[in-house]
Amino acid sequence: MKTAVYGIGNILMGDDGIGPAVVAYLSSNFTLDPDVTIEDLGTPSLDLPNYLSGYDTVIFIDAVAADAPPGTIRLYSREEIVATPPGIRISPHEPTINDALIVLDFAGGAPKDVVLVGVVPQTLDGGMTLSPAVAGAVPRVAQAVMGELGKRYTAQRMAV
Amino acid sequence: MIATAKRVTIDPITRIEGHLRIDVEVDQGKINKAWASSTMFRGIERILVGRDPREAWLFTQRFCGVCTTVHALASVRAVEDALNLPIPINAQYIRNLILIAHALHDHIVHFYHLSALDWVDVTQVLKADPVKASSIAESLSDWPNNSAKEMAAVKTKVKGLVDSGQLGPFAHGYWGHPAMKLPPEVNLIAVSHYLQALEYQRYANQIVAMLGGKTPHIQNVAVGGVANAINLESEAALNLDRLYSMKALLDKVVSFVQNVYVPDVCAVAGFYPDWFGYGAGVTNYLSVPDLPLDEGSTKFDLPGGFIPNGDLSKFHPIAGQKDPYWRKAVTEDSEHAWYKSGGPLHPWKGETDPQFTDWKEDGKYSWVKAPRFEGQPAQVGPLANVLAGYASGNPLVVKWTDAALGKISAIAKVKATPAMLHSTLGRHGARAVRTAVLSELAVKHWQLLTDNIVKGDSAIYNKPEFPKGEIEGVGFHEAPRGTLSHWVVIDNGAIKNYQAVVPTTWNASPRDSKGTSGPYEASLIGNPIADAAHPLEVLRTVHSFDPCMACAVHMFDPTGNNVSKVKVL
Repeated sequence: MKTAVYGIGNILMGDDGIGPAVVAYLSSNFTLDPDVTIEDLGTPSLDLPNYLSGYDTVIFIDAVAADAPPGTIRLYSREEIVATPPGIRISPHEPTINDALIVLDFAGGAPKDVVLVGVVPQTLDGGMTLSPAVAGAVPRVAQAVMGELGKRYTAQRMAV
Repeated sequence: MIATAKRVTIDPITRIEGHLRIDVEVDQGKINKAWASSTMFRGIERILVGRDPREAWLFTQRFCGVCTTVHALASVRAVEDALNLPIPINAQYIRNLILIAHALHDHIVHFYHLSALDWVDVTQVLKADPVKASSIAESLSDWPNNSAKEMAAVKTKVKGLVDSGQLGPFAHGYWGHPAMKLPPEVNLIAVSHYLQALEYQRYANQIVAMLGGKTPHIQNVAVGGVANAINLESEAALNLDRLYSMKALLDKVVSFVQNVYVPDVCAVAGFYPDWFGYGAGVTNYLSVPDLPLDEGSTKFDLPGGFIPNGDLSKFHPIAGQKDPYWRKAVTEDSEHAWYKSGGPLHPWKGETDPQFTDWKEDGKYSWVKAPRFEGQPAQVGPLANVLAGYASGNPLVVKWTDAALGKISAIAKVKATPAMLHSTLGRHGARAVRTAVLSELAVKHWQLLTDNIVKGDSAIYNKPEFPKGEIEGVGFHEAPRGTLSHWVVIDNGAIKNYQAVVPTTWNASPRDSKGTSGPYEASLIGNPIADAAHPLEVLRTVHSFDPCMACAVHMFDPTGNNVSKVKVL
């Protein structure tokens, strides 16, 4: 079983960098099963399908627009993600996770098991630091990701 | 007939994903006014002030999620230019191969996955005869994956999608629009190649990863060269094994570009000859030379320069980053952009202090500044690059341009000429020509690198030394979307100012202090609009530039608000 954990977001744009920040935290504090790929994908947009095909399970970490306090964690299932229809594209930056899954559902090779671990941001203004609420959520987000992995693997463990 | 002018706004509506907004005024079925606006402030160059110039590229490649490598390379070139630091020839070839592979990937994705759906009606596929589609495709090229069986399988796939009531990846198209003109079989060929393109662009991306260490965000660049250890005896280094696996991937991509992408663009163009008559806009063209062939970056494989008013006989070449003609000509004007200073200012003196007003059609209306070359707006991108090659008689550019025009003439049954390239379709044609040229140069640069390594040269890096006091540099790159330049001022080894003038800034430029429109705005004037509520024609012209609003915040919006909205007033 091949699994990928992907942090999505721009590290130059405030709390949008939460995905990459959690990937960095997981990489330095946990030893993952050898079948698990972990990567900071930045903002891949139209290139995202390239990183999905061939995986059985993909866990995304991304900022989400939800009506909740900054730092709140929300989990979304594959069905909830693809329920958002793709819009008219003006630039290649607009396609998001749902577009990538929909493209691969048509072309073949889409992961069947997808979870989005979403975090509500406080600010998306330019800058390389997370707001205190979101920075404080990083260990909890990491635990949520480990929890999702734990449902699928037994070999995860804390690094010594 | 429409009695009064209508205003149409296409706006990616969320504050998060909002990058490009287009407003047009439609009168008598034609666009007579247009505004291009970027709806998000970034100003991320400010993050670089005070940092070590040797690490700037690590940050700049985060400017944009789609064009990471191009910002990495432009950044190290800018710092090397400030230091007058040559780099080993192996480093040039390795960088060139990365840039070419990225461009091959990017151009294929742009055509098939972003803009082909402006011309291809997926629902028409259901009416197509797979045998006829196969014979049309086989008349266009020798590509082996055009069999009737292949076409029938794709038709079945599309039927499944339509029957499910969901159009999947095609749900955002304007199906059944009166401006759609391809025969059903050509629509089927296009969808079949859309699927194959997904596979082939991935091979190009794998080449970037092999040389860059990974994608996205390559790891092998350094001010002074690259970090790819070369050792023919080591399994851990760049050796013949790796070079030949890269060559195998490259050969596949080259074949796809020459036998699928180029013929497809010519076929689509041949069925829409009207669109050679729309979308010229700003016909001042700017491109820069790229693919350096020597350590000091004075000789290049691809020419660049400035063409005023579409007149190829007035082509003024740019010799290199040191050319004073280039270094002095670029300014940015903020009269209609949400920044404090009006300008125009040279990028080394550039300022990024925001001053937001609302969207005001006669005032400030965009976060994009207005770059100018010798005071004039300029169109950048593959068309500018191809015209520079054509004007300077570059044999590869001339060969592929003439071949494409010949193919288009045969399908359209009208004589296609280089003058027709000043148009919406011309930009697509030129992008295909540029991709074909690059596909040949990819093989050439792979050979140059391999030969040099086999000869025993393994140098990859010259150590940078920063002087006391202030120095300035510019790094340019002819990126997939056109001329990119990074301008850096370094003071006692730390960054004092940094400005990136990106291709989309040139093309999406708002009006300047003289009121002159930028390329997107100018190119929309005169475009027909069949149905103001479904402005497909606007998308055709804007997409032909390959917009990339120097991005990019990325946020998943479960409310579905990441859907662009069209508003007609």
